[in-house]
Amino acid sequence: MTFLSLSHIQKSFGQVQVVSDFNMNIEKGEFVSFLGPSGCGKTTVLRMIAGFETPSGGTITVAGKNQSGLKPNQRNIGMVFQAYALFPNMNVSDNVAFGLKVAGRPKDEIDGRVKEMLGLIKLEHLADRFPYQLSGGQQQRVALARALAPKPQVLLLDEPLSALDAKIRVSLREEIRMIQQQLGITTVFVTHDQEEALSISDRIVVMNAGCADQIGTPAEIYNRPTTRFVASFVGTLNLIEAKVIDPATNRVAIGDQGVTLREPLGPVKAGDTISLALRPEAGSIAEGAKGDTALTGEVVSSNFLGSVVRTRMRVGTSVISFDMFNSPGLVPPAVGETVTLRFTATDLLVIND
Amino acid sequence: MSLWARIAGWAALIFGLLYFFVPLSGLFEFSLRARRGVYSFDAYVRVLADPQFQATFSFSVVMALVTIVIGILIVVPTAFWVRLKMPWARPYVEFLTLMPLVIPAIVIVFGYIRLYNTSSWLPLTGSVFGTNVLLAFGYTILALPYMYRAVDTGLRTIDVATLTEAAQILGAGWATILGRIILPNVLPAVLSGAFLTFAIVIGEFTLAALLDRPAFGPYLQRIGANKPYEPFALSVIAFGITWGCLALIQLVTRFQKTAPVKA
Repeated sequence: MTFLSLSHIQKSFGQVQVVSDFNMNIEKGEFVSFLGPSGCGKTTVLRMIAGFETPSGGTITVAGKNQSGLKPNQRNIGMVFQAYALFPNMNVSDNVAFGLKVAGRPKDEIDGRVKEMLGLIKLEHLADRFPYQLSGGQQQRVALARALAPKPQVLLLDEPLSALDAKIRVSLREEIRMIQQQLGITTVFVTHDQEEALSISDRIVVMNAGCADQIGTPAEIYNRPTTRFVASFVGTLNLIEAKVIDPATNRVAIGDQGVTLREPLGPVKAGDTISLALRPEAGSIAEGAKGDTALTGEVVSSNFLGSVVRTRMRVGTSVISFDMFNSPGLVPPAVGETVTLRFTATDLLVIND
Repeated sequence: MSLWARIAGWAALIFGLLYFFVPLSGLFEFSLRARRGVYSFDAYVRVLADPQFQATFSFSVVMALVTIVIGILIVVPTAFWVRLKMPWARPYVEFLTLMPLVIPAIVIVFGYIRLYNTSSWLPLTGSVFGTNVLLAFGYTILALPYMYRAVDTGLRTIDVATLTEAAQILGAGWATILGRIILPNVLPAVLSGAFLTFAIVIGEFTLAALLDRPAFGPYLQRIGANKPYEPFALSVIAFGITWGCLALIQLVTRFQKTAPVKA
């Protein structure tokens, strides 16, 4: 059942349309990530849910209640900010207790809840410290506890990991996901980091120019991107130009080599040019392989990336990258060498522009 | 740094210190000569025992405290709002707050007397309380450039917008945000402004004299015109109060519970 609903949301700042016709239904207890580049409107949507921005059009409902006209302090929503935003004049306990004190809860309840929240983030021993005495990761955990303490209906996370170093980011995102699942709280997470979004979300909304380009599970977003933008933004992807030979049999030509796709090509006719996508990890070198799921080309570069070796080969006018897992016995193909790349028919995706 | 540059630096410092302290030490030395042939604190004893001194000093202290409260109530919400919602208005507000530096106090007080005299629509000068209110507002205007700048500088050291949003989303209203988040976080700055206000009000002459209020400034002038040693003792006391205020500014700045802000 839908818990948080965003219906035909629009937002303009003057003449600039930042969000246009954004629709999304989020289930109770779901963890949804808004993923997209800077300026795509993801934070604006989040701020409209929080009440910091007023939509130019559309409605936002939480648990069936229309949020229009409600101020941020009337919405019972928790939010964690990129810049931590802990109150510098209060220690950790007072920060966590702030929302409960403002709500006028009894002292015993506040003390109990603060203890519970500090236990949840495993920082009971730092209850008396001030924010400037904490590391970035610790501050963000306190910010999370503070947001959760008043038992909000929805938790909003606005790029909470961006200011942290790589190791802390990974451990904290796992902690956030664990706490979210433990509490079963509906969560919207804004990030521009695809790895973050893919690793902790139930669903991802890939946003581009104020619109949701694709909404799906992490696997769907990664494996079945439906637009050129999603394909290029999420993961590394080969975008290959192909010419339609026979739409009825899904037969296309890449350069002078014919390939048959598993999925329908859509409303195209013979001679049209379409875009295909192929993940670098989907193919493997197979000497002498021929047929509908193999491409032969000349190696133009080979780069050692640690766990994988990424090789680029030219096929017609396209350059296709493919990865080989590194192992002591691996001999990467040399530049100028002709190799054949084999893949399965389902790996080659048709991309809508 | 070369030897000559170092010597020049020390020479400039020593010259500056002499320039500042020689007249002060002369002032202090003269204030001790009230008893013929020996140094004594007679002038200080006479000044401190003077009921006029006690009355005028107490009056000015009370006025200073009232001025500080009015200043905080006007300046903190204004500077906060300008920073949060109307950053485009900042240059205009800054310009306005600088006006008291270019408009002489005598112009302000004559304006007040003209606007609020006993035959005006709001006859504040018709009663002692009304005139005191007028004086407090006049002092607030005179202290405005210092108070506004101090508070604005304090606000610059915190992320006003994010802290406000963080408090709002936790259910806080504007009064709570100002009283429990913004004010405590700019308290050292507010106190700096308050001590400067205190120093200004204690020595202010024009407004108090022309509104005929028994303040410390006019008392200083009266004593200076009639007695030989007491004015010098009073000047030393006035310097002491100002330095005390500056020391307190340093003290409260050290006690703030936030990390030092990077420039």
